[in-house]
Amino acid sequence: MTGPTLYFALVAFGVAVGVGSGLLGVGGGTLIVPFLTLAVGLSQHAAQATSLLVILPTAIAGSLVLRRRGVGDLGLALRLGAVGAVGSILGALLALALPGSTLRLVFAVFIGLVGLRLASDGLRRERGRT
Amino acid sequence: MREAPRDRASLHLRSLLLDPRLLAIGFGGGALSGLLGVGGGVVMVPLLVLWASYRQRDAHAISLGAIIPISLAGIATYGVAGEVRYWQALALAAGSIVGARIGASFLARIDERLLKVIFGTFLVAVAALMGTRG
Repeated sequence: MTGPTLYFALVAFGVAVGVGSGLLGVGGGTLIVPFLTLAVGLSQHAAQATSLLVILPTAIAGSLVLRRRGVGDLGLALRLGAVGAVGSILGALLALALPGSTLRLVFAVFIGLVGLRLASDGLRRERGRT
Repeated sequence: MREAPRDRASLHLRSLLLDPRLLAIGFGGGALSGLLGVGGGVVMVPLLVLWASYRQRDAHAISLGAIIPISLAGIATYGVAGEVRYWQALALAAGSIVGARIGASFLARIDERLLKVIFGTFLVAVAALMGTRG
């Protein structure tokens, strides 16, 4: 895909990701990274990097809405995230040190596990839906 | 800021400084996020609920807020390496913010369990595709 077609597809796929993550609470990354590698043809590293930049504004927008509704504690969240930022830098450096094919395999295993958990969650008998 | 939230916040500050569980959850979620380009909520939310005893709703909100600094750090690290595609991210983000609003308005009317099974199966298929088309 190139030019306007590519950007049209990106916006459309973004809408689908937003709907899906709004419904399931599974973040966009599990969908965006495979889309960017399989459909757009980015390298695994570029797809992951770009995915994070999509997640950031979504997280900001979502956090502002929840804060207005008084859900959670944004102060605690940001401090937790500050600790997480250290982990994130180390994780990204590790990813950058790995060859793309290895990283892609690690990612595949990860979303495979997420998928299995979601499916088994859905199949389990109803218990105290919240 | 009103009084009650501040009290709660200072309580949480103490709990974050003293509670190794929260440190571990934040660090682990961040490491996963940086390594795989995802938010990290997929590990932080269950751990906050099962290990740190937060309610589901609060855990979800805390995880979402934590993703802000976590993703910033990841973007910076990948950005230095020249891996971020800014325009493509902008297009995806514009779509997903619209989509999130649509999704939220459907939330009450949908069979969540069926959706989980469908989406879970779909993810497993995508995983297989990624694993084989290396």
